[in-house]
Amino acid sequence: MGASLRALRALVLLAGFYLLGVVLLGILAGIDYAALSGGLHGPAAGKLVIVSVVLAIPIVRGLFMLRTPKGEPPAGVAVTEAQEPALWEAVRDVARQVGTRAPDEIALIDEVNAAVSEDASLLGLRPGTRRLYLGLPLMTGLDEMQLRAVLAHEMGHYANLDTRLTPLIARGRAQLIRTIGHFHDRADGKVAKERAKQEKAAEKRIAKGKKAKEIDTTGQGVTYRAMAKIYTAYGNFYMRATLSSARRQELAADLASVRVAGRDSAASALRELNALDSAHDFYMSSYATLGVGAGLLPRPGEVFGGLRRLLDARSTELEDLRRELSTEPTSPYDSHPALAERVARIEALPDDGRTGQSARPALELLSDADGALAALEQVVLSPQALALKRLDWEDLVHESMTQYVGQGAEEIREALSAEGAGPDLAALLDAIDADPALRWRIADRFPKSEQAAAATGRAAREYARPALRRAVNQLVTVELTARGAARWQLSWSDSASLRYLADGFEDQLDLALDAAVADQADTEPLRKLVLAP
Amino acid sequence: MIGLYILGAVLLFGAFKFLRGVYFIRKAKRLEAEIGTLNAGTEAIEARQRAEKAAAVVALGFVAEADLDTENPAPVPPERTAALEAVRTGDWEAGAAYIEAAGQDWHERMERVRPLALAAAEDDAWLLAWRAARPTDPTAALVDADTAIMVAWNVRGGQSGSRTTQEQFRLFRDLLIKAQEVAHEAQRLADPADPTPYIVEQPIGQGLGYSHERYRELWEQVVKRDPKVLWSHISGLQYWCRKWRGSHELALAFARESAAVGEPGDLLSLLPLIAYFEQETYEEDLAAETFFKEPEIVAAVDAALLDLAAAGDEHPGTARLRHMLAYLLFWQDRDEQAVEQFRHIDGHIGALPWSYAGSPKRRYLYARDWAVVVATPGL
Repeated sequence: MGASLRALRALVLLAGFYLLGVVLLGILAGIDYAALSGGLHGPAAGKLVIVSVVLAIPIVRGLFMLRTPKGEPPAGVAVTEAQEPALWEAVRDVARQVGTRAPDEIALIDEVNAAVSEDASLLGLRPGTRRLYLGLPLMTGLDEMQLRAVLAHEMGHYANLDTRLTPLIARGRAQLIRTIGHFHDRADGKVAKERAKQEKAAEKRIAKGKKAKEIDTTGQGVTYRAMAKIYTAYGNFYMRATLSSARRQELAADLASVRVAGRDSAASALRELNALDSAHDFYMSSYATLGVGAGLLPRPGEVFGGLRRLLDARSTELEDLRRELSTEPTSPYDSHPALAERVARIEALPDDGRTGQSARPALELLSDADGALAALEQVVLSPQALALKRLDWEDLVHESMTQYVGQGAEEIREALSAEGAGPDLAALLDAIDADPALRWRIADRFPKSEQAAAATGRAAREYARPALRRAVNQLVTVELTARGAARWQLSWSDSASLRYLADGFEDQLDLALDAAVADQADTEPLRKLVLAP
Repeated sequence: MIGLYILGAVLLFGAFKFLRGVYFIRKAKRLEAEIGTLNAGTEAIEARQRAEKAAAVVALGFVAEADLDTENPAPVPPERTAALEAVRTGDWEAGAAYIEAAGQDWHERMERVRPLALAAAEDDAWLLAWRAARPTDPTAALVDADTAIMVAWNVRGGQSGSRTTQEQFRLFRDLLIKAQEVAHEAQRLADPADPTPYIVEQPIGQGLGYSHERYRELWEQVVKRDPKVLWSHISGLQYWCRKWRGSHELALAFARESAAVGEPGDLLSLLPLIAYFEQETYEEDLAAETFFKEPEIVAAVDAALLDLAAAGDEHPGTARLRHMLAYLLFWQDRDEQAVEQFRHIDGHIGALPWSYAGSPKRRYLYARDWAVVVATPGL
């Protein structure tokens, strides 16, 4: 099948979406007509007409709905050409090479992603405002050529590559997925409404002293759901029919990025995307938001900007992620072929002589990268988040870890006070000296595993010993951080760790903790080490 | 109209399918119930037969099922009961004296250490007091090390690896390492001629997974002090078993070497019997009634019988050997000889081969009652 034939088929299939509605309406009208002219009169005829009208409503709605659904645009910072001339220049350059219209607006967003959208009307035949959404985390991890490769791929979808109708198909697909979702939303909405109505009615009945009817929403939204089913079936048919060409378009878009950025940059950009995604998720959960529980955020610009430090520090781990690509497509309807296949196809291309081309980091395309990273926080973060205290990374880690350990020590203090021992380390050690068996009663109050709870005799004590040791160590940490003798250390390549200021302290502390929880308790080493002035 | 016909046909077909399904489900339930009744009937008959046979055997003077002791391989000596009672009240000196009384009979020394270690695993106040009062007492260190091993196993539990938690595995290892430290301490403190501080390290090496080389070094320390301690050979065989760090071949080779070292009366001929038994237990496709009749196993049993005769009832390991012999003689259809062993061991079955069974009593009674019925004319 040639390119234009494929496109024509896609157009017919999309038109069929409308046709389906018209045909369904026609069938309903035909049944009514046949019944009425066939001699059906009275209430039966009225009922039939009402049912068919009820069924027709969602179909008619469906016909118009195809235009209505619009995705929520991601929150971002719009940048003008005057603000970021180099970025605009690069984007225009890529658009020119791909052979499509450059976007009208560029917005910087907080995802590892780049996307182009267009407010097209008339089924996408009349072009509208074209927007490029460009993720700053994405730019953080790529060099300029890799970024150009990603941009070329995205704009390639809108390019006049094989036929004028290609963009229409691309838009049609997206629209279709949204329409089906919309049907389901409406059905769900209807069920919720009906439930609320019935609950209200039930309340009234109870108020009047009658027995409430059971709430039953099984039949609700059924017409919407039925319509959604018909449309979903058609949508699946449409998707499957166009899937192979859609996948081919993805590969064609990959070829566009090879033309623009060179084979190696295009392939490495795809590999980098794979690594960046996980790295960014990890960064956001383990670094950027580490202090949130303690009411802390990194300095302005660092919430998203800190990713640079993580990428620098964990290069070996990232290398693994770059190498191990998924061989499965994300879903049977996803138009993107498996990442491994895309990369393999690109890397199988002949050498284009652009191997090893040097490129600056993509963030350097921005005249003020730090400013952009800071501005993005204002748009993306909630007002509550923006109100948090800002600290340097080193202080952020120390402060928040200290606070978390302090919170964790609360539980220990509760167990201590329940056993009549003091709230801090000194008081606990005094209590242990007075009654060593107190330790096991305290440990008995900590949460424990099923096996530990079932253990008896010395085995129970052996289960309790590590928990007790951890608890005492936590109190030691609280004591030492409060006195400035220990500090939580940030590491971009590992988890945060406690650094003791004195040399060889850690080994001595290990021995002292062992002695304090040994069968023959000896609190002296711990006192000397931690509590001595 | 055609549409209605089709709809009608589809509905009828659906109804037919549904009713047929209901019919089959009911039928299956009825059949299941019948099978259940039949099974219950068969079981009742079998149980009655078993009970009749058991009653006849008990009438001949054998111990009834309810009275079987599954904890000990032989009657508990009164001195041991007294020692356990004494330490429970805090009198550790009585425990120390009980162990010391074994003198240089190293096997007996271990036989006395173990029950005290088991007691300490539950309540070790007396042991802590002993250690505190006599920090350089090698016997206290020995009991302490064996206790730590018992505790490690209590923590580890008897479940398979997949049903043992990370916490259990970690503690098991930590505790064995602690036990190892105490064992090494005992080795430093003890009389240089005493092999027991090294014997106590054997199960530690087994649990921690000593390399073959390291285990052989440890074994060297044991045998150069005394090559014939039955306890150490039984313990060593466990290490070389397939289920631990060795194989059927290594285990059998070790057992044969042990048997070769022993003179009649040393009871080391027990080792090959255990090796065969371990192999049969491990290999599911080995059938006891054929495997145990292999000529080499019959020969091993004959050798053990001679060994036993030479030992008399003086050796503290006789009961262990008699248990093993009774089981193998039963499988070899030497029922009269088996009954002779059963008469000696009857009543206390806390030993191999019964302890490996899911229900030790059931395994023991099956073998004993069978042998007794066959060997008793007119029963």
